[in-house]
Amino acid sequence: MPVINLQPYSSPRYFLILLLGLLPIMIGLYHGKRFRVYETIFSLVFLVLTFGGDHWQQGVALIIYIAYQFILTLAYVHYRKTRNQTGVFVGAVLLAILPLTVVKFTPFLAGGKITLGFLGISYLTFKTVQVVMEVRDGTIKDFDWKLYLHFLLFFPTISSGPIDRYRRFKKDYETIPDRSAYLEDLEKAVHYLFLGFFYKFILGYLFGTLWLPSLQHWALMQRHAFGGLGLSWALLGYMYDYSMYLFFDFAGYSLFAIAISYFMGIKTPPNFNKPFAAGNIKEFWNRWHMTLSFWFRDFIFMRFTFWFMKKRWIKNRIRISQIAYLVNFLIMGFWHGLTWYYIVYGLFHACAIIINDIWLRYKKKHQAQIPSNKFTKGFSVFLTFNVVCFSFLIFSGILDKLWFM
Amino acid sequence: MTDTEKVVSILNDLTGEDLGGKLDENIFANGLLDSMATVQLLLDLEDQFDVDVPVSEFDRNEWDTPNKIVAKVAALK
Amino acid sequence: MKAGKQLWRTFGPVLVAVIAALALFATPWRGLKINSQTLKEATVSLSTNVYRGEKIKDVALNDNYVPFIGSSELSRMDAMHPSVLAAKYKRGYQTLLLGGPGSQSLNHYFTIQEMSAQLRNKKVVYVISPQWFTPKGQRPDAFGYYYSALQATDWLLQAKNTKADRYAAQRLLAMPSGTSSLLIENATKKIAAGRRLSAVEKLMLTQKQVILKNEDALFSTLDLDNNWEHIKQETKKLPATDNERLLNQVAVKQAQQETTNNEFNIKDSFFKKELRGGRRLPRLKDSQVRFDYRRSPEYADFQLVLQQLAALNCQVEFVLPPINQRWVDYTGLNMTMWRQTTKKIKQQLLNQGFTNIDDLSEDGNQAYYMEDTIHIGWRGWLRMDQSVRPFLTETQAQPDYQISDYYLSPAWQQKIVK
Repeated sequence: MPVINLQPYSSPRYFLILLLGLLPIMIGLYHGKRFRVYETIFSLVFLVLTFGGDHWQQGVALIIYIAYQFILTLAYVHYRKTRNQTGVFVGAVLLAILPLTVVKFTPFLAGGKITLGFLGISYLTFKTVQVVMEVRDGTIKDFDWKLYLHFLLFFPTISSGPIDRYRRFKKDYETIPDRSAYLEDLEKAVHYLFLGFFYKFILGYLFGTLWLPSLQHWALMQRHAFGGLGLSWALLGYMYDYSMYLFFDFAGYSLFAIAISYFMGIKTPPNFNKPFAAGNIKEFWNRWHMTLSFWFRDFIFMRFTFWFMKKRWIKNRIRISQIAYLVNFLIMGFWHGLTWYYIVYGLFHACAIIINDIWLRYKKKHQAQIPSNKFTKGFSVFLTFNVVCFSFLIFSGILDKLWFM
Repeated sequence: MTDTEKVVSILNDLTGEDLGGKLDENIFANGLLDSMATVQLLLDLEDQFDVDVPVSEFDRNEWDTPNKIVAKVAALK
Repeated sequence: MKAGKQLWRTFGPVLVAVIAALALFATPWRGLKINSQTLKEATVSLSTNVYRGEKIKDVALNDNYVPFIGSSELSRMDAMHPSVLAAKYKRGYQTLLLGGPGSQSLNHYFTIQEMSAQLRNKKVVYVISPQWFTPKGQRPDAFGYYYSALQATDWLLQAKNTKADRYAAQRLLAMPSGTSSLLIENATKKIAAGRRLSAVEKLMLTQKQVILKNEDALFSTLDLDNNWEHIKQETKKLPATDNERLLNQVAVKQAQQETTNNEFNIKDSFFKKELRGGRRLPRLKDSQVRFDYRRSPEYADFQLVLQQLAALNCQVEFVLPPINQRWVDYTGLNMTMWRQTTKKIKQQLLNQGFTNIDDLSEDGNQAYYMEDTIHIGWRGWLRMDQSVRPFLTETQAQPDYQISDYYLSPAWQQKIVK
């Protein structure tokens, strides 16, 4: 008997099994009922399919991780009812990040031989940290442990997001949409699902499976070009193709997660909103991997600046924002993984957004002299697109293969 | 000064525009307020109204017009 | 029933899509017929679709096509290229070009076994590059480029518990692409361990094979590089009759016209592009002094190809190409090492009954044998044609192969033949 394991959204078989399993939930919601027991069993089955079979080590890691976060959060909630020391809060956040840190550092220290962790640990960490922070702020008061588990283990989004927020999830979970609203949700869900198919399995396939390997092949074959830097037309092609692939693959994946959530009556927030139409880097981050960048905005950038301004450590607001961008994107880089190219990717975006801010301030001051028309707008989209694609070239890691392997 | 006047004056300082007549204008959609200015807004509200606005309380949809901000501040007092 | 109508509007198209997809992919259907024009284009396209796929190879072999298996030299399509000669003169065969930059024995093994049924008792031309036999052998990224899940499923479904199959399984598992599908990875692990596949695994692999074959049949003729037009143009440069002396004149003329900007007799365009018109030369001076092709896992991968060809009772002509002598002198490649390499390859061939060998490895100083540094061209193609043409057009003696698993062993891989 071969081991049973299905990777999320990877094969037609997965979708068929998924839709069959969803049917009772959909019938229930259609009739205004949420079958909580069935939903829990169904979620568990899919978790076992994802983390079972020969991925069982991942399954064990997931269980340990969830138990750890569960105890940690419960303890902090209990503590927060009576007291509120900053030291304890910082300790709780650090403890919540600890497993992810360990997982990211082990392959680095062990020379890539050992990998701990499981698919989706980085995304779960966002959820747990977020809850700890909101408990501290007092915005999460009535902490429901069953709902918390459900929120963490919500299987459509467990592997790669979008990253939902506890309070938003709770609202959706506890209110059942009326029939006409649910029918509209279903229509959206089917639309998202098929748009996802188009993105991931057609466009993602073209860019990723059909063209990317050739371009990578040709780019690597020219590793001696341009004084050993390996800069070639193939590499340029790779840059654009990889950017398209990254978008369609990930946006497609996000659409699947959103579609399945909608079938279940949960309106998981969108992750992409025409990112390549952005007119500057700041706007790009409001359109690209939105749930991640909003998380970073709300829980890192804004907190960091709030805290710096409140303590008045640095007076200059511009300087504070620049430091905050660096911190923000550096953490994002480290979150992606401990390789030089993820970290450089983070720093690159921090610099891009700082330069962008300087330009925006300059533009505001000299509004009268700087033309603004269709052409300048088109140019800004073009420029942003190319800066972003270049950052993805760094992110792709091909430069590592080209230069250091 | 009324609460509304105070809020509008804070917002005017931050955005460099006169929002006195635009109490229902969406200050995020128009790009008038970026993340930095938002933090400054929270700090100014804390200072002037003596309320504690945690950053997590800050749900953009609930704070996106001068009128909504006034209502929020009143609720937090 | 407004709600019912809306439900149908939402899910009706989904249902239709599911049924259509199942009909198209999951039934043994095998796509449309391939016409002779498409076949002409596909067989010389050097496209990975063709190399990794199955349908075009099968159709071509059932016609009068002969596989020319090799690597980057196949793309040097001057007028004397085997495909141009076969297209121009009525020799009774056409060329099915298999291979490209970075494809080596391991890829060839998987692509050959895919055509087992059609290749049995047929003729094959195999161009060996000594440059494959590096200390590390097959580059994993290049392997992945020429690998397909269809090759792997075909292979797994016929794999037996032999030394060669276990070795091939281990090699596949050492490549990242071999572990990209869980089903294939698990089955390959079993073969590597000498175990049998379970009935369920065979069923799942067969089902996967059906889908992959349909995909191959539907899509492998799309997006082909069009070398056929180029080949047709090149045939116009050739003399009307298939005559060695006349062909040689054309080859010398074409070569002279195309080698004007360097002292290595390298094609101008290559010199300009790859060597930056000479600007890269200083760095390449004596850069190959330490190159060593004598010890390599490639020898065992090559053995996989040999035992496969022997099992299919193929008649094979092996070509050992020359290397540009002027380039060797410049880069300092060790000729003693070079000779020991070709000697070792020949020993592996001859000891097992592969006697059709065209050894050009000492002909690197012949004028216009090489199109660039290591790639055969112009007169080199013609020199090769002197053995290829009779091999393909005349009846050959039945081969008598004695395959030995010794050539899979690490001892052989690391042995230096003096």
